[in-house]
Amino acid sequence: MVHFFSQSFNYDHPWLHVTNGIWHKYPNSRSSHVVSVDVIDRSIDPHSGVVRTERVLGCKQAAPGWVVKLLGGSEDAFVREVSFVDPQTSRTTLISENLSLSQYMTVLEQITYEPSPADRASRTQFRQTAEIQARPMGLIWKAVGERLEAWSAQRFGDNARNGREGFENVLRVLWERKLMVQAEEL
Amino acid sequence: MAESLSPSCTPLKHAYDACFNAWFEGYLEPVVASAPALRERRAREKADEYEARCGALWKNYRECVQKAVAEKGLSSMLEQARKDKPLVEPSYPDSEKKD
Repeated sequence: MVHFFSQSFNYDHPWLHVTNGIWHKYPNSRSSHVVSVDVIDRSIDPHSGVVRTERVLGCKQAAPGWVVKLLGGSEDAFVREVSFVDPQTSRTTLISENLSLSQYMTVLEQITYEPSPADRASRTQFRQTAEIQARPMGLIWKAVGERLEAWSAQRFGDNARNGREGFENVLRVLWERKLMVQAEEL
Repeated sequence: MAESLSPSCTPLKHAYDACFNAWFEGYLEPVVASAPALRERRAREKADEYEARCGALWKNYRECVQKAVAEKGLSSMLEQARKDKPLVEPSYPDSEKKD
């Protein structure tokens, strides 16, 4: 079985602002499960201007205690995320997948930020999809895989909902700061 | 600013992040606003500027974080993930469906 998750909504900020905000998203109190963020590779394509960034995010309690006891490893997990900011198409995409526990399951997430079709200048459309799937582990382990999958899907949903609120706070603070800087310059 | 996975890299990371964030804020707007014919030149100039401003900070941080990634036992997982999904160019959910 595969668990699918998807949501889409608008942020009340221009795409430029939301894309700047991506680098400021963590830490935020609504996404306290993300404890570290590292850039491991970054390049700017001299022709297209696309900024590609590869990051590793450290998350705490990404696996339930019973899984750690059963399968080993740790409750903390690392995720690889690759993002592209494309100034030609005004699109920002992020793809991420778990590194830890990947022998047992995959959590594959895709996010797109682009100007909202109805209001390109001041709003940003956010689309997120995720596929959560346990790897085939044989008959005895099937129940374990299914429980792990269900647990992860639940947790992914909670984090996604909290993530929206957390990122909205971050964007608001950055916006206010920007207005203050502009006011000082006048 | 977020912490590094290794506390010893955090100061290097913060210095690099601050440089990148400042550069990035000045990057998108002029490139997006440029006429298509000028856009490539604009992007190239900005890419050179990034290298000049943040290149040395990046080198220091990268060296530290590469070591930290290895110490956490992530190197082989990362290598496998890169092999499975190189993700070298943007691919969009819309266009993927058409394939």
